[in-house]
Amino acid sequence: MNRIIGTTLACAGLLTATAACSGSDSGGKSDGPVTVTVMTWESPETNTAIKKALEGFKDDNVKVQLVDTPSGGYGDKLASLTQAKKLPDLFWCGNDTEQQYTSQGLLVDWSKRVDSGDGGLKADDFVGSAMKNWKTSEGQMGGLPSLMNTYGVWYNADAFKAAGIAEPKSGWTWDDMYSAAGKLAGKNGAKYGLVADQLTSADAPFTMSMYSVSAGGAPFTDDVNHPTKAEIDGKYTEGVEKLAAAIKSGAVAPPGYDASNVPALFSGGKVPMMFGGQWLAAGFQTDKPKIKYGFAPFPQVTTPATLYDSVGICTPQYTANEDATYKVLAYLNTKVWDAVLPASPVAPPAYTPAQESYFNALTKAGQATVVDTVKADLSAEKTVGVRFTTQWASQVGDLTTAMYQPILSGKKPVSDLQAYAGKINDLIKSQG
Amino acid sequence: MNRDGRSRGGRGGFSRNAGSDVKAAYLFIAPAIIGFTVFVVYPLVRSFYLSLTKYNGLTDPVFVGLGNFRRLFTVDPAFWPSLRATGYLVVLYVPLSLALGLALAMFCNQRFAGVRIVRTLAYLPVVLPAVATITLWKFILNPQVGLANTILDKLHLPTSLWLQSPSMSMPSIVIVMLWGVGGTMIIFLAALQAVPTELYEAARVDGAGPYAVFFRITLPMISPIMLLQVILQTTAALQTFNQPKILTGGGPGFSTNVLMLSIYNNGFSNLGRIPQLGYASAQVWVLFIVIIAVIALTAKFSSLWTYSDNTPD
Repeated sequence: MNRIIGTTLACAGLLTATAACSGSDSGGKSDGPVTVTVMTWESPETNTAIKKALEGFKDDNVKVQLVDTPSGGYGDKLASLTQAKKLPDLFWCGNDTEQQYTSQGLLVDWSKRVDSGDGGLKADDFVGSAMKNWKTSEGQMGGLPSLMNTYGVWYNADAFKAAGIAEPKSGWTWDDMYSAAGKLAGKNGAKYGLVADQLTSADAPFTMSMYSVSAGGAPFTDDVNHPTKAEIDGKYTEGVEKLAAAIKSGAVAPPGYDASNVPALFSGGKVPMMFGGQWLAAGFQTDKPKIKYGFAPFPQVTTPATLYDSVGICTPQYTANEDATYKVLAYLNTKVWDAVLPASPVAPPAYTPAQESYFNALTKAGQATVVDTVKADLSAEKTVGVRFTTQWASQVGDLTTAMYQPILSGKKPVSDLQAYAGKINDLIKSQG
Repeated sequence: MNRDGRSRGGRGGFSRNAGSDVKAAYLFIAPAIIGFTVFVVYPLVRSFYLSLTKYNGLTDPVFVGLGNFRRLFTVDPAFWPSLRATGYLVVLYVPLSLALGLALAMFCNQRFAGVRIVRTLAYLPVVLPAVATITLWKFILNPQVGLANTILDKLHLPTSLWLQSPSMSMPSIVIVMLWGVGGTMIIFLAALQAVPTELYEAARVDGAGPYAVFFRITLPMISPIMLLQVILQTTAALQTFNQPKILTGGGPGFSTNVLMLSIYNNGFSNLGRIPQLGYASAQVWVLFIVIIAVIALTAKFSSLWTYSDNTPD
């Protein structure tokens, strides 16, 4: 019996010792160079390019290590690493993640460093709307924006030509878009003329803001980070009515349409028009769709309006060496994109001096319409946010599913929009 | 042992040996007890405590009493549709899986050449990785380029939007779930093979037809297994997660947003959003109570339709 107890205790001791040795040595404080770990959500190809580019980072006291991540499931991995307090020193994060994590005190505040131009990174060199959105109400920045997401309408130029419709271009209207969608629906294996996930998904109410703002009306919300109200005015209602009619006619795909394989269907000529981000250009460059395609700015009512969104790189507050981490962060923002984007032009950098390589790569690949649209988006005067970044944003998503989407599907009257906005305003008030 | 019931070693020797055996017994069952306490009892108690708090897994829980339950039942627009979707899934899936499983088992209980191959094929989907088969079904049910609509189209039958239609999404998920009915079949097959053959022989002598044999002999004899299957399948259906997660993500609307998926989304998912673990724990307890209630009701009324030969002589 004593032997059994002894063996058990020995095993327990061994396990404890193993566990004690299994902690991360990220940014270790022991002698020798500091290791700064980096985690991205990019594809294996882009990660390979990033890894190669990071080899150019030269500092005797700092080593950089790219953490392997499974393809997909980045959100789950991020959540588990956050709760285990094992986040890498630098990790790719969305605007909402940065806002929410910063408000919980989980991230290092870089605002003073970037304001003072530390490491060659000057606040003025970043896209203004991105910097504004990455600051919390207290002026903190738990990370820095790295890449901009711009959006527009991808179209099948061949299908437009076959149907005798003029190709979309800057200045086209929402009526033009719905009219074209109606003519393209049901032709050449395409069930719908337009698949616009951004207009029918959980973020749909924000996208519709483009209509009202373009028509001189009010945006859906005054601020996605610190909203004080949600508003649906006459212009906004007009936009929803037009969209609901287009869905009813079968020109536009309804809410619930599975958008996961839409780019593939677009490449195969089964979707003539789709809302989407500029990042699809990188995939099209590799896969080379058989159709002739283009990328147009969003339609307008009277003045151009577009969505703005940016992703970035965040740092946990328990990073072992802030100086070393900031050096790598600065290198990522200023140098890495020059090496990565020519091979994989996924997005324009938020750090404007680094944007040239992105546009050069697209021009070289013959993606002139993408260059024009991205440039138009980046310089757009009227912009609206893509979604709330607040901690209670998921509750707004549930309200959208319960109240907004049925309006688009024609199951509830458009007049219910006011009740929907009222519920969101109640939520804003209850959150203080 | 002596006739008076004492051990040969006398009273003292008996106690010493028995005490040692008891200690050894406790030691041997200790891992199970520790495992049960750590992995079942503690999470149960902890989740109940968390259901009464606002907790994000990052900062300390804040006690809110029944606030989470109040939000569930009166504010959350997703909760009642989730409960409805879960109920619809159970009502649709359980009878179909039992009927199909039993039909398959009866077919595989026949004697014909290649019966073993048929049994293997029927059970094969159960051993295949669920994620792979579900993903395959997603392609099959794609309304534009999927195999299902292609076949329907060739046969000049009406096609469907399948997973993208609010009315067809849940039936589509049930179809995918029925792909794994081989597990139900195997248990029914074992039950069918345990029915005494003399009962069938006697029935044949009495001139009973196949329907009479099925309803008066087969069904009553396997009814205890049927009860087990009802409980197992209902519990499994109430905890369905993989299929809606992979196939629809809960949509369109809330049509397939079953409780387990809602719990997962609130507790762990939502890319980059702070989790709502306290709120998700409240949902877990609602699901737990629903499962207990359904099992209790099933067990209570089981005597009305199950056969038992445990009657006193």
